[in-house]
Amino acid sequence: MEVKINKNDDVTTVRLIGRLDTPASQEVAKELSPLQETANGTIILDCEELSYISSSGLRIFLSLRKAAAVKGGKVIVRSINDSIRNVFMMTGFLNLFEVE
Amino acid sequence: MRTKLKLEERIKRNSALTALLLVVVAALTLEATSLIQYYYSEKGIKEEASRRAESQLENTRLKIEGVLDQVEAVIGSNIRLTQWGFDHLDSLDMITSIIVRDNPVVSGSTVALVPGYNRKRPKFAPYSYRDPGTGEILSRSLATEEYDYPSKEWFTKAIETGSGYWSEPYIDVGGGEILMTTYSIPVRDGKGQVAAVLTADISLEWLTSYVGGNKVYPEAFNMVISRMGEIIVCPVETLVMNKTVQEASKDFGDQERVGAVIRSMMSGESGMLEIRGKASNNHVYFAPVDRTGWSMSIVIPDSEIFGEIKKTRRLVELLQILGLLMLVTILGFAAKSQNEYKNLSEKKEKMENELNIARSIQMSMIPKTFPPFPDRDDLDISAVIVPAKEVGGDLYDYFIRDGKLYFCIGDVSGKGVPAALVMAVTRSLFHSVATHEHTSAHIVNTMNKSMAEMNDSNMFVTFFCGILNLDDGHLDFCNAGHNAPVIISGARKELELIPNLPLGIMEDFVFKSQKAVLKDDDALFLYTDGLTEAENINQDLFGEERMMDVLSTRRDSVGHLKAMAKAVKQFVGDAPRSDDLTMLFIHYIKSEPGVLKRHLTLENEIGQISRLSKFISNIATSRGLDEDLAMNINLAMEEAVTNSIMYAYPEGTRGEIEVDARVDDDTIEFTIADCGMEFDPTARPEPDINAGAEERPIGGLGIFLVKNIMDSVSYTREKDTNILRLIKKLK
Repeated sequence: MEVKINKNDDVTTVRLIGRLDTPASQEVAKELSPLQETANGTIILDCEELSYISSSGLRIFLSLRKAAAVKGGKVIVRSINDSIRNVFMMTGFLNLFEVE
Repeated sequence: MRTKLKLEERIKRNSALTALLLVVVAALTLEATSLIQYYYSEKGIKEEASRRAESQLENTRLKIEGVLDQVEAVIGSNIRLTQWGFDHLDSLDMITSIIVRDNPVVSGSTVALVPGYNRKRPKFAPYSYRDPGTGEILSRSLATEEYDYPSKEWFTKAIETGSGYWSEPYIDVGGGEILMTTYSIPVRDGKGQVAAVLTADISLEWLTSYVGGNKVYPEAFNMVISRMGEIIVCPVETLVMNKTVQEASKDFGDQERVGAVIRSMMSGESGMLEIRGKASNNHVYFAPVDRTGWSMSIVIPDSEIFGEIKKTRRLVELLQILGLLMLVTILGFAAKSQNEYKNLSEKKEKMENELNIARSIQMSMIPKTFPPFPDRDDLDISAVIVPAKEVGGDLYDYFIRDGKLYFCIGDVSGKGVPAALVMAVTRSLFHSVATHEHTSAHIVNTMNKSMAEMNDSNMFVTFFCGILNLDDGHLDFCNAGHNAPVIISGARKELELIPNLPLGIMEDFVFKSQKAVLKDDDALFLYTDGLTEAENINQDLFGEERMMDVLSTRRDSVGHLKAMAKAVKQFVGDAPRSDDLTMLFIHYIKSEPGVLKRHLTLENEIGQISRLSKFISNIATSRGLDEDLAMNINLAMEEAVTNSIMYAYPEGTRGEIEVDARVDDDTIEFTIADCGMEFDPTARPEPDINAGAEERPIGGLGIFLVKNIMDSVSYTREKDTNILRLIKKLK
C-alpha cells in the first residue's frame, strides 16, 4: 500500500495505491492524520489505483469526512472501481461523499 | 618432553586410523544400500511390467470378446427368422438386409443354402451388404460361377463343425481393402436337416486402432496373429495380412526361443518368455482369444523396462563416489589441521564439525518440503526432526502411490555416526521395499530380514509403518517396537498394538499387520521417544500427559508440530537435550467428490490478514469464482477474522484462530474458531447507514459488511470456543 499526498493551495490530493486492508489501514491512518487539521479545504481521495478496501479503510474515509464537516471543508472520492463502489453502496457511503 | 611428543604422535596416528575406518565404513554402507535398493527396484519394476502387460492383454481380450459376443448374438437372434425363410426363399434377401441394416457392426450377411437342398434352386445365396460409400444396404447373389460359395472356408467349416465358426481374417477387396472376418453358423430346418449357413461379416479396423493405440511402453510392440499364424495387427503395416509370424520373425534374434513362443501362441497358451533379440533382450507376453483361435502378444524390449533404473543407478553411483571423495577431502583437511592443533578442546570442536556434516547429509535424505502434496485436498501432513546436540538416528518418510499414503517413523538405537548410517540404510530400505509391497507387514518383514542379516553391530531400529487408503480412510499398519502413535478422532487415544519387536533383532520374527479406519477429519500423531522422554533440569520427563494436552487443541498439522516443539522447549528450559525429537502429523480429510476443504491456523496478530487473503484467493482460483465475488468473500472474511484477532484474546496474550473452509457447487462455508473470551459479534446493533456524516459512529461497519455479503452468519459458543459460521450461496 502506498500513499502520495499532493498539496496545492487549499486542495489536497491523496493518491491511494494498492490494497487498503486492515494492516495497511493502520499505516495509512497515521499518514493521513495531519489532514484532519487542514480539513477546511478540499480533500480529493484519488482511488484510481485502489484495488480493495476493508472497513478499517472506510473508517479513515469517514473520519476525514467528519473532520471536514466540522471545519467546513469537503471530501471528494474520485475514480473508485466497481467493487469498491459496491462496498460504498452497501454501507451508505455513496450518500456521505461526493463521488466522481 | 619426550612423553608429550609420543602422546601427540599417538593421537595423530589414531585419528588418521579413525578417519580411514570412517571412510571405509561409509563406502561399504553406501554400496550395500545402493545394491539393496537396486535389487528391490529391479524386482518391483519387473513385476510392474508383467502386471501392465498382462492387464493390457486381458483388456484387449475383453474388448474382442465383446464384439464377438455382439455379432454372435445378432446371428443367434435371427436363426428363427431364417428357418421361416426356408419356406419363403424370395424373402431371404430381406432377412439379410434387415440384419445388416439394424446392426451397424455387421457390414455384410448371407444365407447360403446347402447345394441341392432346394430342388428348384440348387445353389442359392442372397447377400446383403452396406455400400462403403453411400451407406445404402444393397443385395446381390453369391451363387455365381466365379465365386462358388460351397467351397469357401466360411461355408465348409460351419457345416463341418456343425456350430458357429469365425473365419480366418481376410482383406475385402470389393469394399475398400478393409480387414474383415466372417462369423458363420449352420441353420437346420424344421426336420433337423442342415439347410443353410447364415453369416455376418465384420470389419476388424477397430482392432487395429485399439491394439495399436494402447501401448504399455512407448517402444512396446503389440501384435495379433490368426490361428494360421497370419499377422492381423502389427505396427509394421507391410507385414499385415502379408506375412505369417514365422516368416516375419526370421531375423528376430534367438530362433529357438522365437519358435517356442510361436508354438505356444498357436496352441492357444498364455504366458511370458524372454527372447534374446539382436539389439536387446525382450520380454514377450502372450495370450489367446479362444473363440477365433487368435493369439495376442506384446513384445517389450528390456531397455524399455529397465532403462530408467539403470540410469538412476549410474547417477547414484556417481553421487556416491562424489560423496566419498568429499568425505575423504574433509577428513584429509581435518587430519591435516589436526596436526596444527595443540590442545584437545580444539580437536573436539573439529570433531563436532564432522558430526555436523554427517548430520546435514543425513537430513538431506528425508522429505522436507511442506506441504508435500499441495494439490491434494484430502491430506494435511507435516513432519519435523528437532536435532539434539549429537547426531542421532531418527527418521521418517512418506510418499503416495496408487491413492495410498505410505509412511513410516523410526528411531535407531544408539547415537553418533553409526546410528546415522543405520538410519540412512533403514530409510533407503523403506523407500525401495515400500514401492512394490502392498501391505505394511510385508514391508516390515522384508526390512527386518535384510537388517537382521547384515546386523553385525547389534543395533536395532524401532519402526512404525502405515499405509493409509486416501479413498476410504482404511489404515493398514505394522509396528516394530515403536511407541504407539496417537489417533485423534474426537477423543485422543493411542493406537492399540499387538506385541512385537524392533527391526534387526530376530531374522525370522513374523510381524503382523493391523487395521484401523480414519474418519473424515481424524488425524494420526507419530513421534519418537525424544518427545515423551525430554528431560528438564530436575530430570522430570515431558511425558504423555503433556503431549496429549497439546494435541487437544484443534490446529493444522504445522500448527500442531510448532505448538508441540514450543511446549517441549518451555518444559526443558536450559537442560541439554540428549535425543532427537521427531514428529509426524497426518490429518486425513476424506475427500467428497466436488468438495474442497481447506484449513488455516492464524495467530492473533493483524499482520496475519495477508495470509488469510492468500488462503481465500487460492480457494477462489481453484474453484474459478469470479473476481467480484472473491473480493466480497475476502472482505467478509477479513472483517470477521479481524474481529477475532482484535477482541478474542486479552491484549498482550498470544492465541490462535482456526479457519476452516468448505466449498461445494452450491455454497462456500467458513468457520472461524478461537479459544478467547465469549463474544458474539452478531449481537452488535447495526449502524444506521442513512445517517449523515456527523451522526455516523466511526465503528461497527465490519460485522455489518459480513452480514451484508454473506447469506448466513451464525455464532455459537462450544465449550471454551467461539465459533462463527459464515455461508455464501454460489448459485
